[in-house]
Amino acid sequence: MQSTLVTSFFPPATVFLPLLGTGAAIGLGRVSERAREIGLAVICAIVVVLTFAVIPGVLGGTVYEAHLVRLTPTIWIYLRIDAMGALYAATVSLLWLLAVVYSAGYMRGGHRLTRYYSFLMMCLGWTLGVAYAGNLLTFLLFYELFSILTYPLVVHEETPQAMAAGTKYIIYILIGGSLVLLGVVLTYFISGEQTLTAGGILNAAMDHTALLAIFWCFIAGFGVKAALVPLHGWVPDAHPAAPAPFSAVLSGVMVAAGSFGIMRVVYQVFGVELLQEMGVMPYVAGIAAFTIIFAAVLAVGQDDLKRRLAYSTISQMGYVALGIGLLGSEATIGALVHIANHAFMKGTLFLCAGLLIKRTGLRNVSEMAGVAKRMPVTMAAFALAALGMIGTPPLSGFISKWYLGLGILEVHSPLYLAVLLGGALLAAIYLLPIVYVAYFKQPPALAGETELEAEAPASMLVPTIIAASLTIVLGLAATAPGLPYSLAYLSAQTFFP
Amino acid sequence: MHESAHIVYHPLPALLVLWPLISAAFVYPLGRWRESVRDAFVVLASGVTLLGAVALIPLISTHHKIAADIPALLGRLHFVVDPYSMLFALFSAFVWFCATLYSLDYLKHEQKRDRYHTVNLVVLSAMLGVVLAGDLVTLYLFFEALGLVAFLFVIHTETEEAKTASVKYWWMTLIGGFALLGGILLTYALGHTGAIGPIPLTGTTEALRWATFGLLILGFGVKAGMLPVHVWLPDAHPVAPSPASALLSGVMIKAGAYGIFRTVTALFRPEVVENVSEELWHMSSDFGLVVLWIGIATMIVGVTLALGQSNAKRMLAYHSVSQMGFILTGIGAAGYLGAHGALGVAGGLMHVLNHALFKSALFLGVGAVFYRTGELDMYKLGGLWRKMPLTFVFMVIAAAGITGVPLFNGFVSKCLIHHALVESFELHHVFSLSVAEKVYMLTCGGTACSFIKLISFVFLGRAKTQYGPEVREAPPRMLVALGLLSAAIIAIGVRPQVLLKGVIAPGLHAWALHSDLIDHYLAESFLGLSDIMSVVIAFVIGSVIFVAGMRFGLFHLHAPKWLSINYYYLGFSRAFVAGCVNVAEWYARWLAWASHTLRSLRLAYRSAYARAARNWQRIIATISTGAPGPRNQHFIQRAYVALERERQSTVRAAVSNAHAWLRTRPDVDPEVARATVESVRDIASYMAQRQRDQRMTVLAEMVRTGEIETARYRFDDALMEVRSFRTHVAHTAIEMAERRMAGEDVVRDISAEVNRISSEERFDIRLREGRRTIRPVLTTPYQLTTRTHDLAAAPAVLAEWRVRGLGRFERAARWVVEIVRVVVEATTQERSSWLMSDHIDAESVLATRKRIQRYARDMSLNMAVIIAMMLVFLLSIAVTMNR
Repeated sequence: MQSTLVTSFFPPATVFLPLLGTGAAIGLGRVSERAREIGLAVICAIVVVLTFAVIPGVLGGTVYEAHLVRLTPTIWIYLRIDAMGALYAATVSLLWLLAVVYSAGYMRGGHRLTRYYSFLMMCLGWTLGVAYAGNLLTFLLFYELFSILTYPLVVHEETPQAMAAGTKYIIYILIGGSLVLLGVVLTYFISGEQTLTAGGILNAAMDHTALLAIFWCFIAGFGVKAALVPLHGWVPDAHPAAPAPFSAVLSGVMVAAGSFGIMRVVYQVFGVELLQEMGVMPYVAGIAAFTIIFAAVLAVGQDDLKRRLAYSTISQMGYVALGIGLLGSEATIGALVHIANHAFMKGTLFLCAGLLIKRTGLRNVSEMAGVAKRMPVTMAAFALAALGMIGTPPLSGFISKWYLGLGILEVHSPLYLAVLLGGALLAAIYLLPIVYVAYFKQPPALAGETELEAEAPASMLVPTIIAASLTIVLGLAATAPGLPYSLAYLSAQTFFP
Repeated sequence: MHESAHIVYHPLPALLVLWPLISAAFVYPLGRWRESVRDAFVVLASGVTLLGAVALIPLISTHHKIAADIPALLGRLHFVVDPYSMLFALFSAFVWFCATLYSLDYLKHEQKRDRYHTVNLVVLSAMLGVVLAGDLVTLYLFFEALGLVAFLFVIHTETEEAKTASVKYWWMTLIGGFALLGGILLTYALGHTGAIGPIPLTGTTEALRWATFGLLILGFGVKAGMLPVHVWLPDAHPVAPSPASALLSGVMIKAGAYGIFRTVTALFRPEVVENVSEELWHMSSDFGLVVLWIGIATMIVGVTLALGQSNAKRMLAYHSVSQMGFILTGIGAAGYLGAHGALGVAGGLMHVLNHALFKSALFLGVGAVFYRTGELDMYKLGGLWRKMPLTFVFMVIAAAGITGVPLFNGFVSKCLIHHALVESFELHHVFSLSVAEKVYMLTCGGTACSFIKLISFVFLGRAKTQYGPEVREAPPRMLVALGLLSAAIIAIGVRPQVLLKGVIAPGLHAWALHSDLIDHYLAESFLGLSDIMSVVIAFVIGSVIFVAGMRFGLFHLHAPKWLSINYYYLGFSRAFVAGCVNVAEWYARWLAWASHTLRSLRLAYRSAYARAARNWQRIIATISTGAPGPRNQHFIQRAYVALERERQSTVRAAVSNAHAWLRTRPDVDPEVARATVESVRDIASYMAQRQRDQRMTVLAEMVRTGEIETARYRFDDALMEVRSFRTHVAHTAIEMAERRMAGEDVVRDISAEVNRISSEERFDIRLREGRRTIRPVLTTPYQLTTRTHDLAAAPAVLAEWRVRGLGRFERAARWVVEIVRVVVEATTQERSSWLMSDHIDAESVLATRKRIQRYARDMSLNMAVIIAMMLVFLLSIAVTMNR
């Protein structure tokens, strides 16, 4: 498809509007809590509109771009919206909107809210910057900013566990970030080129050792964020410690930022042809397969619900990495679609987990007997998202599994099919018993308290329901234009000519 | 493909699937409003569905195949209806309508009727979706929906038994679903496009084809109750409410059969054209044989287990397994016979339909008995034919259907399958297939026995219990449902030609199979002598088993636990989950171990580093300044001991002074004198202690401010000088003692006196301003250490040596000795922690003294040894040099 470059206000507006939100979080907080909640929700909604507004254009082949700051004669801070970025940005902004609305109910009366909201809005901007980055340096800039500035959100609760998790998080992320930086520097050093292009900016004529070094720097660096298994250590600690709405975005889109980075590197720095020549992607696929199974097995053994969900995130990000590692067009579609689908499914699950904690104080799976009688809507949303996670048709999880499955067969490695289905089976083993005991097991006879209706107020319930119904919409209408599949398909078309 | 030209798009299939789904959305609101309205609505909804299915008949008879699309999921949901699909849709909708009608009364005893009816309509939609699906993705979607939503049927009563059964059902369905998904994906690897039609058989490996086939059969087989994945069925079907059991057993397991049927006869077969070469049927025939044998195993195992049951519904559930074996055998034979498999196809499909009718009728009948008597145990019922005559009649009709009595529907299909089996044997005269035929007859006998047992125990004979007035004929709506099913059973039994010629033959034609075999059967064998004889044989076998079983109690035998597949499944799944949990625990333990190790490594590193740093500092200090630490410490220790001695001497002096004074006053009463002495000792001891502390404070202050060298030089002299204050203390003590004896409060005066003494004494000034001479005053044990300690006084010593005129050699030796001593001392002793401590009690003082004495002794010994060694060394050098 012929693409046309258009300089547009969309990219900078989308990226920097949330920074306005940071100011609003501080300023409106002085007025009243209510004003701040409404103001931030409005800003997020505008961001959502902006990220969705570009999609028709992107599908029509337009590439929006904006050169912002010229650092050196050759290096710009440069934003560009392509199909992949548009997909990720739309997912990010929509989930963020839900999380901000949910925060209004969840965080009300909590401590240090100004800090929470301002950093939350700021991170939205940086994450969108990651999505829209047009060259490696810009990508690195926003990636580092959002990684590091997430720290106050991770430690928001300021409990000893949260502080420890935050320390772990920052150490992992800084090491990962350094590796990414090294990769970027090396890339620039050997190619002199920055701008991400579909064919890749490196080529086989360059020094093989350097290429390998760059590749593994990037994989290890982004792998920390994407929670590939030996590098996943921060995920299961950070999620239970963080407040629920932030857990949802952390798990839904922030971890995916690592996978997104790997995609940028694989498809636009190296390019498919070069990687096929180098023959390194089977290793990535192997690591991803191990991640899927290992993390899912660990998830089965967790009693803390949020911890279990965190391991599930690791496992599901393994699917994305597997899709990238297979290096086929169907698998790429699967990986991209799974980023979006997983965001809303896992978002729903974390929002539900937050509701359970907030309304009933239940954190552990073993205590959830009969909880659906107290919170029927919450558990229905949870059940829906859980089924989606397993890949039950017609929910969105099925779509990503289907394309990953086709991708696996496209590159003739049917054994990965066992990993795909095994991971889904393990997902069933770690998610469905929760649903089952919540609905069908008699709650322990506590002193009348368990009889209480504990359903959450609308401010928290509505975002949860929206996220859950997106699981259905993204499944039933998967191939409708403007939904993840169309954008992923367009991306795969450009990467696999 | 020549059919593709015939495909006509028509919305009816899509509407058929969507209509129950949309209706289901209204069940809850209507149920909340009026139960009766809801009941009418659900009957209407299923009735309309039935009418819609009937409306397919004219469409199919004119167009042969119709298709429809719903834009959803991966682009579109595609439906294609051919005669077979239509057949499945028809009987599903029919049985569903009957079961829905029946359920209205039956559910009066149950909870959550709204949920039941919603599930009922959703599952109907899913069932129709499965059988009308035009591609594998659509089929998979509805297949999963069917299996997973039907979970709510199984668990409906929410008893413990139902929960256990439903959990097992759920997991097996889920795993079957994954196997199916894997199989469907693999068909894409075989170069397929997902349509329900022949898979290209070239360009792929045999192993991949077998894997695909295996996964598909496993996926569908779980639903179909195929051996060895049938174990959920006998648990799940009986625990559901009876109309749901009828649907589960009668219709839903047919979704599995439908899948296997399509897999064998539509996917793994050559292109649909006339006169394909026999070679190309080779693979289809292999796969067919596998399915055939699975069917044979399933039927015999099912019937054997059924004979051992006492719960009527459980027995019927095992018969469902067994009857699925018949169906699979028919389908397998169809696959095995390839182009000539018409009898297998016809038998299998007919039996699907027939089983749906009679099995649902049986479940509904048993349900009616349960509804009235509350009892499901066959051995506890009896004589019900009087109380429930119509139910009895319908049950007998259904039993006649399942046992294959001529003129009832089972007869036709069983004979067709039997013919197909015989034909399979005659194709290649494989011996094992003749065994299969014998097993088939035996199974028919077992089935006959089982239903002789059911009818005679439940309806005939004498009642085992006294029935109350509530035991009467079933309500009319239940009877209507049973009647409709019974009528269908008889209709098909009498006029099978309608079905065989009207539906199955066009289907065979559409799939390019030879349909003339059907005509041949109808003309030659239908109700022929040999077929009727085989039924008679089956009944004879059945009666023999029945009599033998009753006589020897065979029906109450139970197989050992290890023979049950269920036992291994349960063990395996438990072990699997436990394994996962174990891995997680090991991982957590490993993490804990790793972090612990890291932490202890860090600690070890820190302490090692600190020790090294301390040693390094000590070495540096030793080399550069001559070990100030130990010297200062020794000095402080020594000074403390000296001050303590001074204190004791002061007290002693005061006491002896008091004695002397008392001696000058002989008039004093000895008691008073003793008291005075004690008082003096008290006061003096207090004052001396204060003195000592103040002196020690002064000393510590000087050490702290770096004036230690001054203090060291002056200490002994200063101590000598302040001795003079002993007398002062002694006098004050006597004076104060006297006043105290007189009853005065002297505490304040004593303090004032002590202060006065210290301000006169000015120990600090004495220490700072004295003459710089070395005058050891302390006695022997300390002398050596005191003397040799003073390295810093080396210039003075050297000066002295110079005065004395020591030789260079001697001076060097002394210097070496001095250095060695200092090094040894410095590296063998830690710096004391109580250097500046204010808390010193008598005990620690004594201990310190002992330590110091011992140390000094050891040191002097060491010194002596070292000096001796050095001398020997030097002597030997001198001697050798002189030579």
